[in-house]
Amino acid sequence: MSFLLFQVVVWAQNNITISGTVTDDQGQPLPGASIVLEGTTTGTQTDFDGNYALDNVPGDGSLVFSYVGFISQTIPINNRATINLTMQEDTQSLDEVVVVGYGTQKKADLTGSIATVEAEQIEKTPSANPLQSLQGKVAGVQIVTTGAPGGSPNVRIRGLGTYDADDSAATKVLYVVDGMFYSNIDFLNPTDIKSMNVLKDASSSAIYGVRAANGVIIIETKSGGKNRKPTIEYNGYTGIQRAQNVLQMANAEQFVTMAVESGSSADVQFILNAMQRYGRSRVNPNVPNVNTDWYDEIIRDGLIQNHSLSVTGGTENVSYSLGTNYFSQQGLLDMNNEYERFNIRSKLDVDVTDNLKVGVNTVFSNATQQNAEDAAWFKAYFAVPILPVFDDLNTDATPTRYANAQAFGYRSTQNPFPDMVYNDDRLKIRKLLANIYLQTDLIKDKLTFKTTYNVDFSALEERYVNLPYNMGYGDQRISDINRKQNNYYNQIWDNVLTYTDTYAEDHNVTVMAGTSFRDEASNRFEATGRDIAGINYETSWFLDFADPLSFNNNVEEDNGRIYGQSYFGRVSYNFKNRYLLYGTFRADRSSKFTQEQWGYFPSVGAGWVISQEPFMENVGFFDFLKLRAAWGRLGNDNVPASAGANTISNETVDLGDTPNTGITATSTYTDLTWEVVEELDFGFNMNILNNRLSLEADYYIRDTEDAIMPVYIPIADKTISRNSGVIRNSGVEVALNWSDEITSDFTYTVGANFTTVKNEAIQIEDEKGYIDSGSAEFRQRTLVGEPLYAFYGYETTGVYQNQAQIDADPVAQNAIANGQDIQPGYLIYNDANGDGTITDEDRMVLGSFLPKFTYGGNIGLNYKDFGFTMNFYGQSGNKILNRKRGEILFTNDTNMDADLAKNRWHGEGTSNTYPSSAGLRDGWNQRLSNFWVEDGDFFRIQNIQLAYTLRGDKLKGNAPDIKFTLTAERPLTLFSYNGFNPEVSDGVDRQTYPVPAIYTFGVNVKL
Amino acid sequence: MKNYKNIILKVAFVLIAILFVQSCSDKFEDREGQLNADDLDYTDTEDMVQALVGSYHVMATRGWEEPILLSVRGDDVNAGGVGDAQDGLTDADLFIYNQGYWMFNQLWNAHYGDIVALNTQIELIQNFREFASEADQITADQYIAEIKVMRAWLHFNLARVWENVFIIESTQPDTEIMEGPASKNEMMQYIADQMDEAIPMLPNLRPNERTDVPGGVTRYTAYAIKAMAMMELEDYQAMADASAAIINSNRFSLYPDFYSLFKKPGELSDESLMEFQFSDYGSSTSDEFYHLYAPFGPSGWTPARENASPGWGFYEPSIKFIKFMLDREDFERLETSVLFSPRGVQEVAEDPAFANLPAFMDIQISDDRSYITTRDGDQINDYSRARFASGKHYLPSVQLTDQRNDYGGGKNMIVIRYAEILLMYAEALTRGASGSGMTADQAVNMVRSRAGLSPLSGVSSDDVMDEKFAELGMEWGIRYYDMVRLENYSELSYDGRTFTAERAYLPYPQEQVDALPTLTGSNGND
Repeated sequence: MSFLLFQVVVWAQNNITISGTVTDDQGQPLPGASIVLEGTTTGTQTDFDGNYALDNVPGDGSLVFSYVGFISQTIPINNRATINLTMQEDTQSLDEVVVVGYGTQKKADLTGSIATVEAEQIEKTPSANPLQSLQGKVAGVQIVTTGAPGGSPNVRIRGLGTYDADDSAATKVLYVVDGMFYSNIDFLNPTDIKSMNVLKDASSSAIYGVRAANGVIIIETKSGGKNRKPTIEYNGYTGIQRAQNVLQMANAEQFVTMAVESGSSADVQFILNAMQRYGRSRVNPNVPNVNTDWYDEIIRDGLIQNHSLSVTGGTENVSYSLGTNYFSQQGLLDMNNEYERFNIRSKLDVDVTDNLKVGVNTVFSNATQQNAEDAAWFKAYFAVPILPVFDDLNTDATPTRYANAQAFGYRSTQNPFPDMVYNDDRLKIRKLLANIYLQTDLIKDKLTFKTTYNVDFSALEERYVNLPYNMGYGDQRISDINRKQNNYYNQIWDNVLTYTDTYAEDHNVTVMAGTSFRDEASNRFEATGRDIAGINYETSWFLDFADPLSFNNNVEEDNGRIYGQSYFGRVSYNFKNRYLLYGTFRADRSSKFTQEQWGYFPSVGAGWVISQEPFMENVGFFDFLKLRAAWGRLGNDNVPASAGANTISNETVDLGDTPNTGITATSTYTDLTWEVVEELDFGFNMNILNNRLSLEADYYIRDTEDAIMPVYIPIADKTISRNSGVIRNSGVEVALNWSDEITSDFTYTVGANFTTVKNEAIQIEDEKGYIDSGSAEFRQRTLVGEPLYAFYGYETTGVYQNQAQIDADPVAQNAIANGQDIQPGYLIYNDANGDGTITDEDRMVLGSFLPKFTYGGNIGLNYKDFGFTMNFYGQSGNKILNRKRGEILFTNDTNMDADLAKNRWHGEGTSNTYPSSAGLRDGWNQRLSNFWVEDGDFFRIQNIQLAYTLRGDKLKGNAPDIKFTLTAERPLTLFSYNGFNPEVSDGVDRQTYPVPAIYTFGVNVKL
Repeated sequence: MKNYKNIILKVAFVLIAILFVQSCSDKFEDREGQLNADDLDYTDTEDMVQALVGSYHVMATRGWEEPILLSVRGDDVNAGGVGDAQDGLTDADLFIYNQGYWMFNQLWNAHYGDIVALNTQIELIQNFREFASEADQITADQYIAEIKVMRAWLHFNLARVWENVFIIESTQPDTEIMEGPASKNEMMQYIADQMDEAIPMLPNLRPNERTDVPGGVTRYTAYAIKAMAMMELEDYQAMADASAAIINSNRFSLYPDFYSLFKKPGELSDESLMEFQFSDYGSSTSDEFYHLYAPFGPSGWTPARENASPGWGFYEPSIKFIKFMLDREDFERLETSVLFSPRGVQEVAEDPAFANLPAFMDIQISDDRSYITTRDGDQINDYSRARFASGKHYLPSVQLTDQRNDYGGGKNMIVIRYAEILLMYAEALTRGASGSGMTADQAVNMVRSRAGLSPLSGVSSDDVMDEKFAELGMEWGIRYYDMVRLENYSELSYDGRTFTAERAYLPYPQEQVDALPTLTGSNGND
């Protein structure tokens, strides 16, 4: 096993001179790499171009090449005069440094749970948003993809710790980008990122107490390096996106069958009307001669492209990284639906004097997002297939003669095209991130002071244009324009003192203390104008051209300003790199709270590096073994600011045909304090088999105390947020990585990870003992001991097959006696409380939208200049409410998906799970039950990439290396759910933007 | 020396940085962009009226389902769209009550939520009152009395629908909830007492005579609500007295054109005692203040003014009502109360007793389409949801503002009108109360004559109840609550329905039972 070979150094007489070049695996010269003759102190360093020369060394000796962050190599000289070496980056180095809050730490010294994702992995994912690349790569992190161009995925770290099912602010992970706090990083170009560090446990993130409750991801952007030649890099890809797993809807024939079976004479009449209008199908004369596949009509393939150009490098005193990036992505909805972003960034670090460093970092981003009209997705599901897109008989319709389902009696127009063609929703997002820092040593190499000032300015300019149209049958509208301006100006000023020292050789101590001041200002201005003059020309799409009368009561402004103030500190200590102790403390004050504004957030951690113990010296099996435990408390102030008092608003009412403005006051108000998260984390890290296999495992238990929940105030009929619950997330995370080389040309890696999350409410302080959400028809309930937002309804046990079965069922008979009609083809419910009737009391928890188990994995192969990687991801244990189907209870004459039409009960023995067509329209079957709540399990091939590097030295002249890549993102997803997409963030699928598969071709050139 | 200075500078900077953070702490108290109720300038009594105006806003913003659920159980009207939508509503119409049905909860919440909102408005006015001059204090008392009248109407509806309900007079009703619901009789007595308190404070005017708040509450509104409460208590003398106070003021008269009373010309007429007002102020683009009337309307029509939107067909006058009206040749009021579709008329005509129908029920045919034209030229087509729609909630499309297409957009909703008072007065007299002023015959005949019917003499209670049915059909469930009060269950057991006493009240909404520990009993759900 042991590779610790002790070479006997023979001092030969024939000493020689050796020279060569040291490069990294990308072919870039490595300046400052050290070359030492093994067993001696004789050595040198590479120069700016990576060149070295060493005189008077024995020809049979060996050279040790080393460089921080790379695997050291010992190369026998064998009397060679030139030794060129390519060094491999060391991804498992014990010296590897991890960014923690307000500083760095050696990875080996960590006592908490931090996962790092490097640039190389981030760049593989073709996406506007870098977070997408985390999916399946980090245990404990759930990424819910969004298919909408420019959209940000929903990120959950270790379950759901705050009562908030939407991806609104409260559940948002804190992103710290080069020191600045963000809840949305849609302005970042993925290729500008050097690393993303996920601080998963409370002990790691407690230093960010104020907002760390839902986890922290620290993002470092790429920097230059001192004494480095300028590198010009082009990185780009272009490709196509295609909707996957498009939901198959009932065709005209299936739809007509369902309508006839429903027993509704009105529906049959509508079909006759459609036949009168469009004729009969020649295939089946009982079906109108129209068969529209609405999804097919509204979906298109979209293009995606990304081009980045950057320069990095440095001189003796300055390092720099500059770049620009263009990204564009078309949406899948066949309308003006796309996203486009242009970025400029610069990062500059200057050593002003020996003891004074100054740096500036700026990112400017200008994006335009043309949003899809969600109503179109919604309508495409419901629109009947016997309705064509266009209808020349609809002569009232202008400017285009779109077909209108009201023509044959339906209540609404149904046709999704007017939504797509006559609406234009443009959002311009301009963001500027800027920070400047100044760093100096107060005591040389021991006490450092750093002050950083960060600014984040965002301007969101939204223009929503409703073009005028007439669809006939009374569906006509006049034009209007809605303009929104949201401006955010956030600033943070941090001051940090760091003291590092070593006592008596074995006692390593780092102490950090700091202050931080935050100011977050936001302003929203919104106005709507109607009846726009010259609406047919985009040049007139300004409020100036609206009827001035229409601004009455249509102009709004509101403002928010929140301050935060913090003191924080950290101590980390290690003894002989064997025993690790870690502690942080943060005191935060937030003006969002009207009760206790100060929150105090401590954390402690301890680690034992067993592999460093003397008694382990001879146990060769473990290359590295560390046990660790950590505890921490975090605060969450990422909630809407408390009002702290009753407030006044203006209302206008008609009195005597004149608008009169009055005031109303609230009778209840929010009065909140911190949500506090307390977490325990136990874990170990282990490297064995000569560092080829690494294993990291964690068990965590994470409680949110004083969780803010919407408490219902009866009579006043208000729902008010109160600190009123305890939420627990607990589970296990395991990550396993194996890497090896078969020959020096052929290396491979295999990785796998999985996470379990158990989410439950531990305590709810509400009169009712539970918190309801969703609507009465689609109830979600949070009960003690059950997951948050659990779907709450009836359990079905089958379908009544015949009248005899109904007659024999006392539960059915009770219902019939109470006036309920029950027919064969109706669902059978479990009378859970056994009282003989089906009532609200028989409802139970039907599952949660949070997956209980998620897993991911990767395989990487490198053979000479070829590379192949594949990632996969999956989840299970989550449920999805198929609300599209369920909305039949609101409007039941619409279309439905083909699965429902095919599998319906239509006679004895045809189905024991699906009700009949008539049954679908009866309230008995429409109540929320496990018929409407489906499994959300899925398995997906996340990413496949094939790369080939054309080495410049194989070509004539001084050609650069060119890397070509072919990428397939999400080429295959397997699931059973009857919808587009099993990734539904809050589990309620009313309409979800389809997540596309993306196929790209990429090129990377380095000069 | 130089190094020493350097360190001092650095340390000074560090200290300044830390101290700056400390000095910002006064910013933590205020909230930008928020007007706290305590920060209003209550010394400026001119602004006091704004709190009253706010109360009218609270009252007028009624959900579409509220008037519909309040009235759907009567034998004058049925739920439309049977088997098509709103199963719970059609069930309620059949006296099958689903305790979890959203409309029940919504009606409860909207009413109680508004009661608490009105209590908040009273508190605002009381704040002004503290700083007001004596004259302004009187105004404040009047405003508070107005709000109490509005609040009484909400309490009244709740007790009619659920029998035993809470009386809520505060903004933090924890104590009132703990005390439990009041019985229906307690509630009606409470309402009457409240009205007695309010009456002296209120202006001695007809609502449309008020110039400060046109159409606002006056003392006659309070008398009307008192009369209604006394009617529920079956205290017919008190009911007669309260009605007489309105009649004998000589301020009210019936609007001459029954049909137009429910259209634009009839808004805020001399007949109106309480009216929710809606308008777009004649502008096609300005902010509108509408009630959602679509559920009352026909879902298939060809409007006289193009692009006017159809209704939803959720509210269908009953064939029983139509035949009752035809039978008595009460045509003016029938035409006003019902919009007929050809299918509906055919169904009526199938009964040989109704072979000859008045002209406004004529079926016309063109382009393969049959329709019935209203007086204002709107053509009602056949539609699947229902056979008839409500005429009293219909605004002719030609009365819509240009470019406004909402069904009934800007139409007012009459809540209490003088005709109802006349008939209540007459009923009380026929049930033994002694009158003051006109006779029961006179009161009934005033109403009949406006409808173009011949006078009656020696009216009986049954005559009055028939008159109420004919005059007030489709309005606020007046008919249903009359039949429940008179225990005349056979009238409610029509078209296959069977009404029994225990079906009189809705069950408490499930969500309320869950949230309110003092709400016990399975009201109407056994």
